[in-house]
Amino acid sequence: METIENIESSAPCLNSTLHFCISDTRDKRRRGEQKQNQISSFSLSSSINKPLKMAVCTAYTSPSLHSPYPISNSSKSHHHFILSTSCRSNRRRVRGEISCSSETNTVVIGLAADSGCGKSTFMRRLTSVFGGAAEPPKGGNPDSNTLISDTTTVICLDDYHSLDRTGRKEKGVTALDPRANDFDLMYQQVKALKEGKAVEKPIYNHVSGLLDPPELIKPPKILVIEGLHPMYDARVRDLLDFSIYLDISNEVKFAWKIQRDMAERGHSLESIKASIEARKPDFDAYIDTQKQYADCVIEVLPTQLIPDDNEGKVLRVKLVMKEGVKYFSPVYLFDEGSTISWIPCGRKLTCSYPGINFFYGPDSYFDHEVSVLEMDGQFDRLDELIYVESHLSSLSTKFYGEVTQQMLKHSDFPGSNNGTGLFQTIVGLKIRDLFEQIITEKSATPAEVSKV
Amino acid sequence: MATTLSVTSLSATSTGALKAWRSVKPIARPQRSPLFASRCVLGKKAARLRVVRSAPSTPGGISEKVSESIKKAEEACEGDETSGECAAAWDEVEELSAAASHARDRAKEYDPLENYCKDNPETNECRTFDN
Repeated sequence: METIENIESSAPCLNSTLHFCISDTRDKRRRGEQKQNQISSFSLSSSINKPLKMAVCTAYTSPSLHSPYPISNSSKSHHHFILSTSCRSNRRRVRGEISCSSETNTVVIGLAADSGCGKSTFMRRLTSVFGGAAEPPKGGNPDSNTLISDTTTVICLDDYHSLDRTGRKEKGVTALDPRANDFDLMYQQVKALKEGKAVEKPIYNHVSGLLDPPELIKPPKILVIEGLHPMYDARVRDLLDFSIYLDISNEVKFAWKIQRDMAERGHSLESIKASIEARKPDFDAYIDTQKQYADCVIEVLPTQLIPDDNEGKVLRVKLVMKEGVKYFSPVYLFDEGSTISWIPCGRKLTCSYPGINFFYGPDSYFDHEVSVLEMDGQFDRLDELIYVESHLSSLSTKFYGEVTQQMLKHSDFPGSNNGTGLFQTIVGLKIRDLFEQIITEKSATPAEVSKV
Repeated sequence: MATTLSVTSLSATSTGALKAWRSVKPIARPQRSPLFASRCVLGKKAARLRVVRSAPSTPGGISEKVSESIKKAEEACEGDETSGECAAAWDEVEELSAAASHARDRAKEYDPLENYCKDNPETNECRTFDN
């Protein structure tokens, strides 16, 4: 490795001031581990007079800045590099960014959606794009809503309820009402996590309806806050690096809730309908208003391909992407900024009924410039999916077929055969791209400082 | 009828379902061992039972909580449908239904080996090798 040679050649000068810290090789099973993370356990050479045989902490030289993988993959090991040499005579010394404390400046993503609208599925797809399965914290409260994976921590905003179930019943407020949530605590804790400090977050137990004792949350690389009000409070909104809103239309919501709840003994069609109707005023007043602040909205509507469709199995999904968002480049079809209507089924591709329709075009959404990519229909075969992927541009994939691979990996998730799964996967890849851009930008600035 | 009785008791609780399943004796072939008999598909009645058994059932007392909350919500809304109490009651129903659906999904994905290996990764059954 180039860097090791540099250190060796300058070894005679390295008399006193080489400091380095420990890094773990606890988990070698990481993506890109074989390429980048040569941070292996090393031996401290006590007498620094003889030339250093092994590189201690590999400092990456500038070309690797633009490598696809983030510098420090593991959130468990704290990579603190302080590599300073007192010798200035050797011009070919190691130059590059030395990332100190990768936990500062966590990337915060917000996801807003009503209950029963696919937040959990989206979370699983998102954490899968980053690698590793997200699980509840081990050894803690079994009813915890938090999910932790290697790079990501998902926090459910229901934990910031100020009133528990009995409290809400007494006051006659729903959970959708801002009066039932403690936005000050939410802001304080998200801010602390973003700055790299651990917090004791309360737990709202959905089964018992009570507020349980808090659990410790350590700052992750990526923090996802999902719930009903991530964008409601202006202060919390400013902390978000990217925000998504899942907008499900009423008919589709009704169909999904029927599917979910009909297995329950107590439920009937009337009770499901009454439940949706009773929550609608609060939903429209408090939750739906967050749409305008989202950087990206996934709208799910009934299909237009089947006239008088009652089943709600085929869906029309629109991906509304705000223009001008930092680090986010919208997906497009064929030509950015133009209006395209595309039916891939034809001579090269045969689809079964009702087929697939695509639409792409610029639009205006709550006075913002947006690009809308819309898919109506469903995928029946693998080749339909790969065909569609090969014609979409600016997907932020790392290799051809990555979207298809991710969709196949989770073919048992709901929505894997239509636009919901496709757009959720694409948004996941966009978030990964955003995260990597932020990391490379942050680590580029110290590199400029260290060049003497 | 015995079949319908066992069908309803199957959908009640999972532990009760297991007992009900075992109590239904197979119609023919008495020579097989009991273990094997319970797994055999022995005619239409048994086949129908088997289909019901694989449907996801909500574990724990969440099902009861959901039904109770629905009843309470219906009572709360008898007076005034637009009141806060009515909305709060139906919101509780929604919350519990969501919790029940999550519990069903978790129960479906439950794998005893994976669960054991999460806590004991060094045992022979659970060690993983990378090269």
